[in-house]
Amino acid sequence: MAGVSTKEIKNRIRSMESTKQITKAMEMVAASKLRHAQARVLNSRPYFESLYNVISDIVSANSEFSSPYLIPRAVKKSVYVVIAGDRGLAGGYNSNVLKLAVAEMKDKDVTVLPIGKKAVDYFRAHKVPMLTEQYGAAAEMNVGDCFGVAKQLCRMYLSGQVDEIHIGYTNFVSVLSQTPAVMQMLPLVAHPRAKEERQTDIMYEPGSEEVFAAIIPEYVGGILYGALCESRAAEQAARRTAMDAATQNADEMIADLSLKFNQARQAAITQEITEIVAGS
Amino acid sequence: MTPFSLKIVTPDGLKYDGQVQELVVRSTTGDLGIMAGHINCVAPLGMGQAMLLIDGNKRYAACIGGMISVLDGKVTLVPTTFEWADEIDVDRSERSEERARAVLADKASNTTDIRLAEARLKRALVRQGVAERK
Repeated sequence: MAGVSTKEIKNRIRSMESTKQITKAMEMVAASKLRHAQARVLNSRPYFESLYNVISDIVSANSEFSSPYLIPRAVKKSVYVVIAGDRGLAGGYNSNVLKLAVAEMKDKDVTVLPIGKKAVDYFRAHKVPMLTEQYGAAAEMNVGDCFGVAKQLCRMYLSGQVDEIHIGYTNFVSVLSQTPAVMQMLPLVAHPRAKEERQTDIMYEPGSEEVFAAIIPEYVGGILYGALCESRAAEQAARRTAMDAATQNADEMIADLSLKFNQARQAAITQEITEIVAGS
Repeated sequence: MTPFSLKIVTPDGLKYDGQVQELVVRSTTGDLGIMAGHINCVAPLGMGQAMLLIDGNKRYAACIGGMISVLDGKVTLVPTTFEWADEIDVDRSERSEERARAVLADKASNTTDIRLAEARLKRALVRQGVAERK
């Protein structure tokens, strides 16, 4: 009996070791991808901050005209852009952002624009109407795609097909911490700073309406790209952490199993000796 | 000339943050020159060359898309792409020009393709024009 169990334990150790090799390799791949993604996030952050600040400055400074982008309408239809990953094995990354988005969407007439394979799969399985499934690869989406999507969304918003646009993504706070978030893109929300009235007037070249018509799609595209960069970095960070934990667990299990294996082996030897001694 | 502070930020990072004496960018309606003490202003950018006068030296760049804002004397340029003259990859832009011209010459191209090709051609020409000025 002891012989069978040492063999079993040996097999388990072997399979655990190969699992550990895989998780270790995945961790290293994620770590190297994370470095790139992190550099890109840090590079692009000032852009979104400026874009956001400029837009909210304009919104708060602007008193004399009303752009459709600024006025909240009675919400009948909403669009949620949801950014998730293309692959699993990233800890809670995909489920956290999807859960949050679904919670926000409750009781609304929602169309979803999923980005990333996991998001597409999720909303297809839950039979949520989707705008398009063409962005099933979050990793391949580039700036141009983002601006294309933004233009389409703005057109839909202006034509009254949708009344609000939100985006669900994951904030890359640090390598160890990522928080999912949902943000309203359209209509524009006045910044908290907007409370204090700005006295100065702004010149719009060529005209305020034209400026808004040209700038808002850029803004939406920029925000989209920013959210995508954040999400990608968050995905790699989450995967790295998850795989690190998996490798550690594998180590622990191997140590545990090795102990059991040695005990079983020793027990078998002792038993054999006892049998020999008893027999002679 | 009195300098003013200018910040240029693109999705690829901060391109410039400092004092300049003069800035000329191509807006959607034509060239827009900015000097110190400019009125608060917001304008969308077109495709064209940007000129910065830094300590009396002119620096050129290809500046495409995005917007410029002047608020309380602070100028923020938020273009979609911004490349200094010496950063421009001329070979790539020439290849891009060829591709665009091929699409435009092809009578079978549909309207979307033509529009994209026109934009690409224009970008390529702007880049090549700026690259000559380095």
